[in-house]
Amino acid sequence: MTEQEHLKAFFSQQIEQSMDALYGTALRLANSGADAEDLVAETVEKAWSAIGSLAERNRFRPWVFRILHNCFVSNYRKRSVRPTESTFEEDCEDQLTSLLNEQPDEFLIWWANPERQFFNDILGEAIMAAIDELPDAYQTTIMLINVEGLTYDEAAQALGIPTGTVRSRMKRGRTLLQKALWKQARDAGLKHDEQQ
Amino acid sequence: MNNSKDDHTHDDIGCLQAIEAFYSYLDGELEDPKSIKEFEHHVSHCRSCYSRADVERLLTNRMSESAKSSAPEQLQDRLRKLMDEF
Repeated sequence: MTEQEHLKAFFSQQIEQSMDALYGTALRLANSGADAEDLVAETVEKAWSAIGSLAERNRFRPWVFRILHNCFVSNYRKRSVRPTESTFEEDCEDQLTSLLNEQPDEFLIWWANPERQFFNDILGEAIMAAIDELPDAYQTTIMLINVEGLTYDEAAQALGIPTGTVRSRMKRGRTLLQKALWKQARDAGLKHDEQQ
Repeated sequence: MNNSKDDHTHDDIGCLQAIEAFYSYLDGELEDPKSIKEFEHHVSHCRSCYSRADVERLLTNRMSESAKSSAPEQLQDRLRKLMDEF
């Protein structure tokens, strides 16, 4: 087997292993099945063209996710209807403190003792609806880490941002997700003081 | 689990510090052994943070189960044909 054939076999194997994750991420980004399929196909073509830039083979996953993300930003973002801008400064050191200060007391009390039963009963669809409400940057970061299993370092490489920013996005994004779920709990009548 | 403040020791950190480390710890990204020990000590003594951690784990698991997508067969075929042409 020639070196090129070895490389192609390696590439094909990696793509086979990453197909579901690439499609899942593309679907969240593009918000359309047809666009997601085109985005993944375009990513695979570009990845093969750029295979020489893959410095370490064990970094294939973040490398190919980076290509996917770049393709989306270049060609698909305009069509996506989700919010793309964060209204917060991501790298502010005391951002979590300020985020907590921004929340209503009722939420903070609930978050200190959330109704376990609510989380036991909550449907996956409801969680995904809450995730869909998050700004693009938080949603993508949470999905890469909590669903696709990338490390913070790998997610940073995939998104082209510092690891510290990934850490910040996780803290803020997950807190905003909790707040969205709290609103669902409140709307469902599961007030904290009625559970005691 | 004990919620009494009297059981907190010099190893303890406050809730705000614990919340700062929350997701890093739960995502396996907290590397400093001292920080891990402080976080675990706090959570084992603080009912609120124990409860938050419990729910966050549940939420992460539920999210992971719900959000997993499988590439449609037509996409799989398309990609394999594409790679055959490389």
